[in-house]
Amino acid sequence: MFLALREIRHSKARYMLILVILLLVSFLVLFVTGLARGLAYANISAIENMPSNYYVVQGDADHTFRRSQLNDAELKAARAVVGDKNATPLAVQMSTITAADADVKADITFFAVDMDGMLAPKVIQGEGISNESQGSVIVDQKLEQSGITIGSTIRDQASGMSWKVAGFVQDSSYSHTPVVFINNRDWQEMKQGVGQGAAEAQSVPYNVIALHADTGQVKEITGQLDNVEVITQKQAISSIPGYSAEQNSLLMMIVFLFVIAAFVLAVFFYVITIQKTSQFGILKAMGTKMSYLAWSVVGQVMILSVASLCISLLLTFGMNRALPESMPFQLDASTIILTSCLFVAMSLLGALISVAKVAKVDALEAIGRTGA
Amino acid sequence: MSAKLLMKQVTKTYGDGDSTLSVLSNLNLQVNEGEFVAVLGPSGSGKSTFLSAAGALLTPTSGEIFIDGESLTNKDKGELTKLRLEKIGFMFQSAQLLPYLKVEEQLLYVARLAKLDTREAKQRAAYLLKRLEIWERRDRYPEQLSGGEKQRVAIARAWMNKPAILFADEPTASLDFNRGREVVRMIADEVKSEGKAAVMVTHDERMLEWCDRVLYLEEGHLIEKKSLVTVH
Ligand SMILES: Nc1ncnc2c1ncn2[C@@H]1O[C@H](COP(=O)(O)OP(=O)(O)O)[C@@H](O)[C@H]1O
Ligand SMILES: [Mg+2]
Repeated sequence: MFLALREIRHSKARYMLILVILLLVSFLVLFVTGLARGLAYANISAIENMPSNYYVVQGDADHTFRRSQLNDAELKAARAVVGDKNATPLAVQMSTITAADADVKADITFFAVDMDGMLAPKVIQGEGISNESQGSVIVDQKLEQSGITIGSTIRDQASGMSWKVAGFVQDSSYSHTPVVFINNRDWQEMKQGVGQGAAEAQSVPYNVIALHADTGQVKEITGQLDNVEVITQKQAISSIPGYSAEQNSLLMMIVFLFVIAAFVLAVFFYVITIQKTSQFGILKAMGTKMSYLAWSVVGQVMILSVASLCISLLLTFGMNRALPESMPFQLDASTIILTSCLFVAMSLLGALISVAKVAKVDALEAIGRTGA
Repeated sequence: MSAKLLMKQVTKTYGDGDSTLSVLSNLNLQVNEGEFVAVLGPSGSGKSTFLSAAGALLTPTSGEIFIDGESLTNKDKGELTKLRLEKIGFMFQSAQLLPYLKVEEQLLYVARLAKLDTREAKQRAAYLLKRLEIWERRDRYPEQLSGGEKQRVAIARAWMNKPAILFADEPTASLDFNRGREVVRMIADEVKSEGKAAVMVTHDERMLEWCDRVLYLEEGHLIEKKSLVTVH
């Protein structure tokens, strides 16, 4: 590090330039990563926040909740394996609502759940609803931005039914739409209302069964039931319409940024290294070990990439505070650590070309040469 | 008297197949403690090749070389690097200082490589820089020094790790006559006061005043011609 630090001290402008470029790239990496995570969360937070870790879906439903249809027979079988508490039905329905007292139309997703089960919404404002109540719903707080408050009456366009908003929940989105929680009683009424009449009176089917189970129990359920599939929460999330496409394009941007970071650094350092070929020859002739020189090059890259990373972390946190609420942004500690490590690793990868170049310099270059 | 440098039947041949060029052929040389030897020869006569071989930078095609009694034959790259660090001081054409190290740091760097104690290194650097009269310039970068000053730093750096022998490759090439002579005198002074040895390669016959022996590199051999030394 003796040489590395003194060289930076001597050529401040040159290394500052590299630092700034690395800073911009690492900031962009962190920022896009945060945005990707934020968008993901804004998209599927309702599923992500569910305590269940597995979902039973119909075998030919392509993992997609809305395409799946299950009934009581499957629920009974699942409950027999994992216990009553650890399996609960979930029905999903996308729709559009209007509010009586506000001039709004909003796309929402109905979640019909057992209000005593594990999927019951955690109300943060207002009151919860029971399985017996009628005409009340719990909605995602994001609807507040559309002018809906507790006590508002919302009306489903498709069925024409109306409910009163009893309470708000937080962070409940499905496919970028706010979730409206209703109990099974209202769900039955809504389905039968638009259905063909009272013929199929006892119970309307639901879409999936949420499970809290271990792998053994999952195997047992798939063994017992034909034509169903048990998928993990991760699989469920990536099958939510739009989720994968959105995340993949953001992921591609992030990957490109990493590659760019490695390339920019590699090229900069390579050019600098080529300029210093004769210096490396002298250093070797004087008895500097190759390992010392390699560490010197790698050390410089380490200093620059870690320094730029620290500054860009500060910038990212600052940016996060300045961002408006409506712009989803989320960076948790594990993502930051992973991203930071990857960034430094890519920088070091870029430095390796320079190390290889230095290794090739012959100490003989020092003798019989005129130069600086 | 112990031999600081001993070269026995050293041959260096460049190229292969039908177009070979023997730059050194069966060259013999012994340089003893306290001796300052000059090697002269026109451009292309093989001076740099000779110095590279003696300085453990180039492996000769055949023959044996001993530095301070240690044979260079059968040493690997790492061992040769270590030997250069501990036993050999180099001076190159046009100083070749590291542009980003201040004068004093140029000396401290080689001391660090040799794992010298920091305090000891500082003392030795101060001693050398004072002797060579560039102590006041110790906080300057090479770009702020004149050519003569740079070569004086290079001398100090070469002597820093108390090498057994110093090899200088045309150390006066980038200096005017007076400054060049001054630099050669300083090398000679250090050889005498430290009880070491030095070999200087040059094509300038006017720089020989302070040398104990003058050798000519002709057709791959070193030939002694005492009578030619001119006195200024
Ligand atoms: N690596 C090499 N490959 C082939 N020929 C070389 C090489 N290095 C030097 N030579 C040749 O060896 C001769 C002596 O070169 P050199 O030792 O540099 O002489 P000097 O330093 O006296 O000018 C020259 O003819 C040169 O062309
Ligand atoms: Mg030469």
